[in-house]
Amino acid sequence: MDITGKQDEWLQAIAAASDGPAVAELEARLFGQKGEVLEMVRSVTSLPREERPAFGKAANGVKLTVDKALAARKDGFAQIELNKELNATDFDPTEPGPRARTGAMHPITIVQNELVDLFTSMGFQWEDGPEIESEYFNFDALNIPGDHPARESQDTFLLSDGNLLRTHTSPVQVRTLQRLVKQGFEPPLKVIVPGRCFRSETVDKTHEHSFYQMEGLVVDRVQKGENGATGISTANLIHTMKTCLRVILERDVEVRLRPGFFPFVEPGFELDVNCPFCSGKGCSVCKQSGWIEILPCGMVHPNVLKEGGLDPEEYTGFAFGMGLQRVVMLRYGIDDIRHFMGGNLRFLSQFPEVPR
Amino acid sequence: MKISLRWLSRHVDLSGIDPKQILADLTMSTAEIEDLIRFGDGLEPLVVGHVRKREKHPDADKLSVCQVDLGQSGGIVQIVCGAPNVDAGQRVIVIKPGDVLPPSGSKGALKIKIGKIRGVESHGMICSESELGLSEEADGIFVLPPDSEIGARFVDVCKVQDWVFEIDNKSINHRPDLWGHYGFARELAAIYGRELKPVGVPAELPSDGKRVEVVIEDKEACPRYCGLMIDGVTSGPSPNELRWQLQAVDQRAINLPVDLSNFVMLDLGQPVHAFDSRHVSSPDGDATIRVRRAKGGETITTLDGQQRKLDNKDLLICANDKPEALAGIMGGVGTMVEHGTTSLFLESANFRASTVRRTTMRLGLRTDASTRFEKAQDPANAETAVHYFLQLLQSHCPSAKAAGPLVDPEGFVYEAKPLLLRRERLALKLGIALEDEQIVQILTSLSFEVETTAEGFTCMTPSFRATKDITIEDDLIEEVGRMYRYDNIPEQPLVGIVEPPKRNEELFLVRRMIEVSCLELGCNEIYNYSFTPDAVLEACGAKDHAYILVSNPVAPEISRIRRHVMPSLLSMVEGNLRQTASVRLVETGKGYHGETKDGHGLPHEVRELSFVYATRDSGEAVHPYGELREHVQHLLRRLGYPVELTRTWSGKDQPWVHPARAVALDRDGSPVGYVAHLNPAVAAALNLPKQVAIACVDIRALLANGRIEPSYTPVPTHPELPVDVALLVDVDTQVATVGGFLRETGRKLIRNVELFEVYRGEHVPAGKKSLNFTVTLGAPDRTLSDKDESKFLDKVRKNAAQIGAELRG
Repeated sequence: MDITGKQDEWLQAIAAASDGPAVAELEARLFGQKGEVLEMVRSVTSLPREERPAFGKAANGVKLTVDKALAARKDGFAQIELNKELNATDFDPTEPGPRARTGAMHPITIVQNELVDLFTSMGFQWEDGPEIESEYFNFDALNIPGDHPARESQDTFLLSDGNLLRTHTSPVQVRTLQRLVKQGFEPPLKVIVPGRCFRSETVDKTHEHSFYQMEGLVVDRVQKGENGATGISTANLIHTMKTCLRVILERDVEVRLRPGFFPFVEPGFELDVNCPFCSGKGCSVCKQSGWIEILPCGMVHPNVLKEGGLDPEEYTGFAFGMGLQRVVMLRYGIDDIRHFMGGNLRFLSQFPEVPR
Repeated sequence: MKISLRWLSRHVDLSGIDPKQILADLTMSTAEIEDLIRFGDGLEPLVVGHVRKREKHPDADKLSVCQVDLGQSGGIVQIVCGAPNVDAGQRVIVIKPGDVLPPSGSKGALKIKIGKIRGVESHGMICSESELGLSEEADGIFVLPPDSEIGARFVDVCKVQDWVFEIDNKSINHRPDLWGHYGFARELAAIYGRELKPVGVPAELPSDGKRVEVVIEDKEACPRYCGLMIDGVTSGPSPNELRWQLQAVDQRAINLPVDLSNFVMLDLGQPVHAFDSRHVSSPDGDATIRVRRAKGGETITTLDGQQRKLDNKDLLICANDKPEALAGIMGGVGTMVEHGTTSLFLESANFRASTVRRTTMRLGLRTDASTRFEKAQDPANAETAVHYFLQLLQSHCPSAKAAGPLVDPEGFVYEAKPLLLRRERLALKLGIALEDEQIVQILTSLSFEVETTAEGFTCMTPSFRATKDITIEDDLIEEVGRMYRYDNIPEQPLVGIVEPPKRNEELFLVRRMIEVSCLELGCNEIYNYSFTPDAVLEACGAKDHAYILVSNPVAPEISRIRRHVMPSLLSMVEGNLRQTASVRLVETGKGYHGETKDGHGLPHEVRELSFVYATRDSGEAVHPYGELREHVQHLLRRLGYPVELTRTWSGKDQPWVHPARAVALDRDGSPVGYVAHLNPAVAAALNLPKQVAIACVDIRALLANGRIEPSYTPVPTHPELPVDVALLVDVDTQVATVGGFLRETGRKLIRNVELFEVYRGEHVPAGKKSLNFTVTLGAPDRTLSDKDESKFLDKVRKNAAQIGAELRG
């Protein structure tokens, strides 16, 4: 057999292979199960015994040479392929893949969760209260006596079973105090209670009969020391509220605290935040005042502490009730309160963020 | 309520203070101000004209052509005027071409142009009071006093321009003293440290004369009643300044006595009523005023012309037992002072807030007077108001005089109770220690009498703050705080024990459920009202269930408090499916079941997590039930509350669940919810497609058996062997049965059994289905081989008959 001739022929074939598939085909032809190169190596068995070593050696040499040439040719084409891919020109960066199914939480939930995270990180408990409430917890326990105008006002939804839909989240103040006092109260108490409240109003762009509030209550024992008594004070209230608004409105807020009247706090305050839409210069949102009323609050009224089972001489506290819709509207610039309860996905899917 | 700056300035000198600053200071210390309005804004261009000549318009009977002298403001101009009262010699108010008449009432601003009226040129307009916004109506042009300077600016001749503060009434509900200008003047005097002028200086009244007897039958409802007969009254229109002052605060002028009674009320907060004395006197001139409760069935026609049916809790003012007024609310028809009244009986009384409020609410009749009495007025003010009224009346009508003594059978002696303000308590509550001097200065400026003691301050509350506002020490703390200004208190962080707060598992679980549903499963969270509309309940077949009802709903058809979240959530599908081909909705909320009550009489509350997955009808639409089923199962496993889905759900009370296609979510054998097809009848009624799947989890039931923490099993070291198994079974054979059989058969080698297809079609005979599983085999100590696979399959083939199955392929 003319081994050298064969080798030349094969090397020529390898050199002539014009692309990857041709090389692959050639590889199968030469090195497949009945491949020509392997057949040649095996043909040693047909030779007389004395010729075998020399032939075997030569044949193996040919096999190695051809194999190497083939591998080099293969690598060459692979490199060309790779370079081609790396220089691809058919890529469209704007072509989308299959759509991901993205849901979204309700914007009130998003903001509420952030507030919950914020307050729980400051040591507040997150609690809940019933939406159907008794007159006692909604009014009497909160120092709103039977002949108080708020009781008679048209805006309380009364129920057929003698109860009512709570008009604020404040009933949880006395509920929580009574429950804890029964269990042996260990101050301090720091609790937040977000939830749904109800007032009979005609729904329009800025009014809604079902709304969300977040109640906050802090009560602690008065400490008597050399320099007088210390305890929960208006100064603490200001600090806590400022911190909360700064985080939730994502900016350094200016706040102002002014008198506000609510029967269950004394003194009572309205907390305003400088208008984010006009930076306090005055616009239609803030009615030209530069301020937006956001947070009624105050020092817990002694009668409320008493009703909760605590001695107001021994304990002081502050409470606040934040309107969540208002915060959400400020946060996202929403101009119509009706969207919240409207169930329209074209609104609700605009807030695909996860709580920070 | 509106408060005028000009009016306030009668009582306290506010010169040099910007109205905007007053607004800011009142806001920070006293009350909420909704708006600051310029009264008489834009009247600057108006000038005083002198009508030199008036001639009839040649072409129109009702028009006059006037030559009006504007002096240095434009010389003599020709103006066509339609007013019947225009005449030569008058001083009138003129607006010239090019100037703008400000908007008033419902009319917008008007730019004046030179125009031709029926062929005669007119260079401006002679104005009426209503055109200037100074009065609601006018009979003709406004005629100025004859000595008004021709050509001068109207606003210089007549001081009408004013600043008006619009007070948020809600912010002064607890302050009876702030329901008039004097109260605000008092606050401003305290804020700016200026002097407050006294009002209603008591005059010497005759000790006899016209006799009025006042009998108060119910002293509880009427603690004080002052009355005075006044003669020599002229009841013509009030002077311009008085009318405009009232107009600035939206009070319509009527005639002098009525205007003054309004003025006194708007100033002192004390309503007074001027009766024509003929209505309260007998022919001999004497009168008996009786303050009594109405008799059941009695009626009175109030001066708005309405006949009011009374009950025995309404309080009446009667003259000789004839009802003449609803006490503290409104006078009877015809009792009012009218043009021609010369003698009047002035009532200045104090009525109990709760009595007035009750009648006001019952009759739906709220007036300026009742609003003030409802706040609990100071009885001392009743007498002050009489003197103030008389003093004002005499200044406008010198002939007026008291015709008899002040009748005041109850009188009023105010005895202040000392209220202690402890220094330590003040510092504790405000979080700042103030100097004694400052505390005393603040309280004194607010008319408290203060005595400094070792512990703090003994304070005597003035009568006008004592009716309801100031009762405890904390009220005094508020007084000091608001005048010091809360804004001046430096903030202080909370300090104390640092401990993680207690966790409310239910709230956190629901929160995570919503997060997983929305962020992982692709749901949109929906909020629905707690009331479900009747139409939705009707469509859901649940209108007749036992609902707690709202007695005063916003609309009659939304009075039912929801028992379950699902109906409202379903009602959100149709509209959204119009926008998008498929929806995944989730809502968490509370339902109320009135048939069981807690210790406080509150209805049983359930908290639900509900899902609706819906897909529009189309050729390829796949029913989303399977997807929802797996999602719910996944969600609950993720959160540590895995459930079994093996039994058909057969709960009651929820007719929207398909009765034959619903699986129960079981925890330890008891149901905590379901995943189901929507009942097709409900789908049809709600106009929904066939492909609607629903699910509901009762959160409290789910929580009852606690959370399961994931536990570790060693990671297998040898590879696993997946084996596909297809079994032909009867259509009613459950997947769980077959899966159980496979587990049984593979025994210890089974790692997982998972259905990947249910096939009904070619090569599957009728009444049969092919269940195609991937069974994952594995062993802890070796790598499985083909032999293990064929051994397993042989066993399956052999035993399949046990469950009526046949191994395919």
